[in-house]
Amino acid sequence: MVVRQRNIFRTTGFVLLLLFIIVFSLFPFVQMLSTSLKYPRDWGNPSLIPERINTGAYRELLGIGLPEPDMSSVPESVRNLLEESDLTPEQRERILADYIDTGDVFPFPRYFRNSLLLSAIAAFLSVFVAVFGAYSFSRLQYKGRGYVQRGVLLVYMFGGILLLIPLYKVAVQIGLLSTPTGTFIALLVVYMVQTLPVSLYMLGNYFRTIPFSIEEAALIDGLTRLQTIRRIIVPLSIGAIATVYIYSFMIAWNEYLFASVFLKSFKEIYTLPLGLRALFVSKNAIWDRIMSASMLTALPVIAMFMAVQKRLVGGLSAGGVKE
Amino acid sequence: MASTQLTVRRTFSPKEQEARLGWALVLPAVIVIGALVLYPIIYNVYLSFFDVSLSGNNVFTGFQNHVQVVTDGKFWSAVWTTVIYVVFSVLGTVIFGIVVAMVMNREFPLRWLVRSIILLPYVAPVIATVFAWQFFFDPVNGIFVHMAVEVLGVVQNRFNLIGNPSTAVIVAIVFSIWKNFPFAYLMILSRLQAIDETLYEAAELDGCSGWDKFRYVTLPELYFIIGSLVLLRVIWNFNKFEEVYLITENVQVLSIYTYLTAFTGAFDLGRGATLAVVQFGILVVFILYYVKRVLKW
Repeated sequence: MVVRQRNIFRTTGFVLLLLFIIVFSLFPFVQMLSTSLKYPRDWGNPSLIPERINTGAYRELLGIGLPEPDMSSVPESVRNLLEESDLTPEQRERILADYIDTGDVFPFPRYFRNSLLLSAIAAFLSVFVAVFGAYSFSRLQYKGRGYVQRGVLLVYMFGGILLLIPLYKVAVQIGLLSTPTGTFIALLVVYMVQTLPVSLYMLGNYFRTIPFSIEEAALIDGLTRLQTIRRIIVPLSIGAIATVYIYSFMIAWNEYLFASVFLKSFKEIYTLPLGLRALFVSKNAIWDRIMSASMLTALPVIAMFMAVQKRLVGGLSAGGVKE
Repeated sequence: MASTQLTVRRTFSPKEQEARLGWALVLPAVIVIGALVLYPIIYNVYLSFFDVSLSGNNVFTGFQNHVQVVTDGKFWSAVWTTVIYVVFSVLGTVIFGIVVAMVMNREFPLRWLVRSIILLPYVAPVIATVFAWQFFFDPVNGIFVHMAVEVLGVVQNRFNLIGNPSTAVIVAIVFSIWKNFPFAYLMILSRLQAIDETLYEAAELDGCSGWDKFRYVTLPELYFIIGSLVLLRVIWNFNKFEEVYLITENVQVLSIYTYLTAFTGAFDLGRGATLAVVQFGILVVFILYYVKRVLKW
């Protein structure tokens, strides 16, 4: 009897603990979703289920079903110019933007596109450089390899703030930060180098698991080392490469510190973290908008993570991370 | 002519060839890291000796920045805030990580699903999660204050936990634990799964209770993974900027203090560079001590 009672006790305790862990992990996400769908007057209502669903915030962010722009502030001559059909919609939009007060409309799609471009290219560059470096680490014997490998890991120790001031100073000095394109490139390079150590480390670990005999056969057949990388190593580790790509993408997608300093003067190339922050500190920070923007910022990353989760978790617990 | 030139060209032994190729392949990575990580760090140290101006020339000031930094009360209060933040966030993350790892190591239905959804805090962007936490602690709409005041009645009046600088650090610590426990749990779980079952059987034969087994088998087996985990988390949490700044600017840890010094107000880059150097120095001293004493390397 005593034993069984103790077991019930322990099982209940275990279930409670498990529930607590799940609720603790997921609560903020539920809160986010709930508030993003509530009408302002329901915000004070602690219930997580909205009484009436308000999709207004999402529609506003994504620009779906918005009222036609008010044309009364556009001069007659410009309106005539716009009627001409040989303008692309993009050009028309740009001209209109100069006349119509977009005021407090939060250009979510544009920030989303900026973030997407920046993260996608930075991750690609990082993985591209890392494939060769990782191959060198895992397959070739030479003096000094150990030092380089350990040196790369040292980068883990340096916080962003230590690199921020000198990199900013250099970028200003060589004039990169005076144009939007230059700024974009500067940030691209910074993101690439931030994700490079992780890419090198994770890919190196993966390449070591590919049996050398496969490659050896190709080498005997007369392929050069570079050809074996392209024709054998890359195809065989495409899953791992995708994983590393997504991990690098996530780091760039989430980055705030460098973006906040570098992009300061170019609002049009703001990334999502910067845009969301600007929306929040501006006086028209409205919970439903900020929460739906949060949801839409988190979703791509969560979806990507789910796609490569199994492999990524293996990599994470093997120590291949950088924060 | 061409053929004679070819024969004159020095041929490399396979070993030399391999070494040359090895360096060639790793060179782009080395150059990028050297130019964008190592060089900036040295340049940062250099800048700390100057009164830096963005447009004009830097003025050499010797140790003036360093002296100003360490004699400033604000610096020491930032150090103190950082210590509190790091100690409690790391302790919380590691302890909660151990608890979660123990739970996830037991069999239960849908375990695979739970194991993956509890990774979401670590995966989701910081910027996308801070607002939900701010809403949670919001004095007007938040559930936390609602629970404390209306439901439980522990406190009489509604209060602003984030807005008050003396309590905001609690929010920052809770957020950090929430964000990073999945990382701790993953590392501990992978070690937990590798513990030899026979150790537990032997302990049971010796009459050990559940707690004894945890204390005398599990913990010693986890010692080194917890040791490395603490080291990594201290390094990262000590350098953290976003996870603190975005949830509340009221917690001035060193990174935030440096950021505000260098990029707001007087735009004092030289002073900021000095702060970054000092912050790095503190970290290095800690790492050396820790590695020697705790990890016994």
